[in-house]
Amino acid sequence: MIPCTEFIPAYSELFRALHRLGGETAVRGFWDYLSEAFLTNLRDLVAEHGLRGCWLYWDHTLNEEAADFTMELDEEAGEFRITMHHCPSKGRLLEATHFEAYPDYCRHCDVLYRNILEPMGYQYEVDLSRCAQAACSVTVRRGGAGVAAEHGPDGRGRRTGGEPHGDRA
Amino acid sequence: MPRQVMERRAADNPYLHKDFHGALNCGIVYLHRHFGEAAVREWLRDFALNWYGPLRQRLATEGLTPLRHHVEAVYEVEGATVRCEQTADDLVVHVEACPAVTHIRALGGDPSPLFVETTRTVNEALCEGTPFRAELLAYDPQTGRSVQRFCRRTP
Repeated sequence: MIPCTEFIPAYSELFRALHRLGGETAVRGFWDYLSEAFLTNLRDLVAEHGLRGCWLYWDHTLNEEAADFTMELDEEAGEFRITMHHCPSKGRLLEATHFEAYPDYCRHCDVLYRNILEPMGYQYEVDLSRCAQAACSVTVRRGGAGVAAEHGPDGRGRRTGGEPHGDRA
Repeated sequence: MPRQVMERRAADNPYLHKDFHGALNCGIVYLHRHFGEAAVREWLRDFALNWYGPLRQRLATEGLTPLRHHVEAVYEVEGATVRCEQTADDLVVHVEACPAVTHIRALGGDPSPLFVETTRTVNEALCEGTPFRAELLAYDPQTGRSVQRFCRRTP
């Protein structure tokens, strides 16, 4: 068994394997699949609670991952923000000097959550410019360029369901 | 509702996010579907060779005890118990239920038929380049209950 505490290097190595087998297209294909099949709970929480769904989702995941972060929710302003002071995942990869992480490891956080949130009508911005320091930020704003109207009130029209066990990945 | 703020430091929480098991399972499913069984085994082998390099070095030089400590720690952190029987040349690990399989099923998921490779392939790779080899003597895909053996290679 690979313990959940050693998932991150296995994940990084998966990206590397996919890249070797099918280039960036294969890596991106997996991230799209993971959004669809695994992040069902983020989609469900946002569908039910709106922007607060982001708070509920990351409250669970970031605390379980022992992240060093500030999370802010301003529902009146329509904005949710995570400032990741030290990402536990990237931090582990940086600390492991014997292990070479996938160079574009952090970009999955851009793709996975954007795939969920933009079709539901939210703007999703991620600043990965400080990844080398295991730091980043995410901002989600209500009323983005998404296409919620095309997808019904909960933004799920394009989705085809998935496995009911999703979480931050 | 007024603006809400949550501040957390790394030391505020233990690091244990079991839902990662589900993401790992998705990785196996995707790789299997698009690139075949061999790709799944190659990925897990590469992971084990690279990530467990220091442990493999200790296995080669110190024998089975560091490996037993590793196995016990892996299951203990997930709240599972294992029973280990160790001699100088042999280590048998009895796992009542795999915490990863248990968690995936508890959340309504279905482990890939290749999920067993997270034990078999990883254990075999752990032993590469050492005087030992790994065998999976028993594995129940429903629960992940297993009997794993590490023993000294014979010439």
